[in-house]
Amino acid sequence: MFKHLGVVGAGTMGAGITHAAALTNTDVMLYDINDTILRRALERIKTDLRTGVKKGKITQEQMTEAVTHIHPRTSLSDLHSCDFVVEAAIEDLRVKKDLFKHLETSVKTSTILATNTSSLSVTAIASVLHRPERVVGMHFFNPAHIMKLVEIIAGRNTSRETVQKAFDLSKFLGKVPVVAKDTPGFIVNRVARPFYGEALRLLGENVATHEQIDRIVKSIGGFPMGPFELMDLIGIDINFSVTQSMFDQYFGEPRYRPHPIQKQMVDSNLLGRKTGRGFYEYSDEKAG
Amino acid sequence: MGKAKRKSDQRSAVSGQTSGGRAVLSIIGDSPLVEEYAELCGSKGYDVVVVRDSKGKFPPTREQKSKAFRETGAIPPETSLALELTNTDLPAKRKNIEQLGKALSPATAILSSSITVTATRQSSWMDKKHRLVGFGALPGFLDRALVEVAPTVFSPPETIEVVRTFFHSLGKEIEIVQDRVGMVLPRILCQIINESIFALQDDVASPADIDTAMKMGVNYPLGPIEWADRIGFKNVYAVLSALEDDLREDRYRVAPLLKQMAEGGDWWKQSGTTS
Repeated sequence: MFKHLGVVGAGTMGAGITHAAALTNTDVMLYDINDTILRRALERIKTDLRTGVKKGKITQEQMTEAVTHIHPRTSLSDLHSCDFVVEAAIEDLRVKKDLFKHLETSVKTSTILATNTSSLSVTAIASVLHRPERVVGMHFFNPAHIMKLVEIIAGRNTSRETVQKAFDLSKFLGKVPVVAKDTPGFIVNRVARPFYGEALRLLGENVATHEQIDRIVKSIGGFPMGPFELMDLIGIDINFSVTQSMFDQYFGEPRYRPHPIQKQMVDSNLLGRKTGRGFYEYSDEKAG
Repeated sequence: MGKAKRKSDQRSAVSGQTSGGRAVLSIIGDSPLVEEYAELCGSKGYDVVVVRDSKGKFPPTREQKSKAFRETGAIPPETSLALELTNTDLPAKRKNIEQLGKALSPATAILSSSITVTATRQSSWMDKKHRLVGFGALPGFLDRALVEVAPTVFSPPETIEVVRTFFHSLGKEIEIVQDRVGMVLPRILCQIINESIFALQDDVASPADIDTAMKMGVNYPLGPIEWADRIGFKNVYAVLSALEDDLREDRYRVAPLLKQMAEGGDWWKQSGTTS
């Protein structure tokens, strides 16, 4: 059904999606603007595949076979043979709109165009096309070759057939698809907001320390990580900007309002693991 | 009574070394929380007495046949430690606390669920306020190794030690938090549930897809709607309305659909599967 898959953008998400697809022996046309990015992506995929072999998730043969199905390309017109294209470029509406305009002229009229956005409106991205009904959101989770969930987003003009095809592709890739309406944050980023927001408020109101809150959430709630550990892992700046974006997209809905603690930590470069310090200290990791 | 005296009284009471054998533990409050705690405490060697409302408010349940506890209509005066486990009906809770305050000696600690009303407020419902300490009790979390405890400004260290000793005897550590409505986990969890019901109400996705997304996308141990079902929508609603009343912010308004799910029984479970 999916002989040729196009992936646009060879960053972390694009590489992960390519990895997952190549393991199903689907030929993947992996596009990016230059060779260096593509080479780096291919190296990354090979490293991840080797890890898979080491962990016994895949065999050496599967790994060798998968690599032969990845075709790096620097011209969008090379995606002409693809029945399905997943765009995984940066989260910038102008960049994505521009890409989709070019994509529409590069592929067949029957090709489904999916965007792997986590925060932009699928409807807005599709708005630049002559045929917006074939645009759909497919929100993969990082790392995309491991995480099973895919949120399938039906935009205002997305056709039923397009949603069905995105659903089928997800299943084909061994993923678990769920369908969501095109609303800010879709399901996961929206429903997860209070996990961080209430924890920050509890801290701000001095109900408990961040260590206590993490202990309680893990020990009593059974969550694998506490909210403060998780914010440190995600990056406090990233978490803050997702919250800010939800708040703006819902025109100031107070449930999504960011907390001054987040802003202050971003201002002081306490961004979590990546800078060596966030809510916790990470002395053994490189400091920013 | 001097502090030293109170300390020795309470310690001995909870460790069960009073004359006449096992420590008597009186439990009063919401079902099924009362039965959950009665079973657990009975299995740990306490002489558990479940105090039922005289009006027969709590109908006989299957658990009542359990050998782990006995039932009475009146609070036994020889009680060593009392648990008050009402979250939903605050006038009933107040009545229970008033009765416990009158029936028990000033040396007997009263541990009361303080998720939907603070322990400090509850202690104003009785004399000898030092006896009462709040804690977090919701159905479905009794197997966890930690419990949130909220002392009041009136709780002396001795009372807190009694509470610590009691929870240790159940195999639990305590985490002492400030005495605020919602405490820590109930506030975070019920707000996640509230958001998931807002999403459901806004027709963002189906209940099953919302649960799947949260379990697979961010590794939640349960989906929010499954969780609400386990805790009970009535309890979730009680926590959320208490937060709404206490904090007076739009952020804490309860999803109208959640209110209907709490008030209307489990009609929503059948919808779509029957007819």
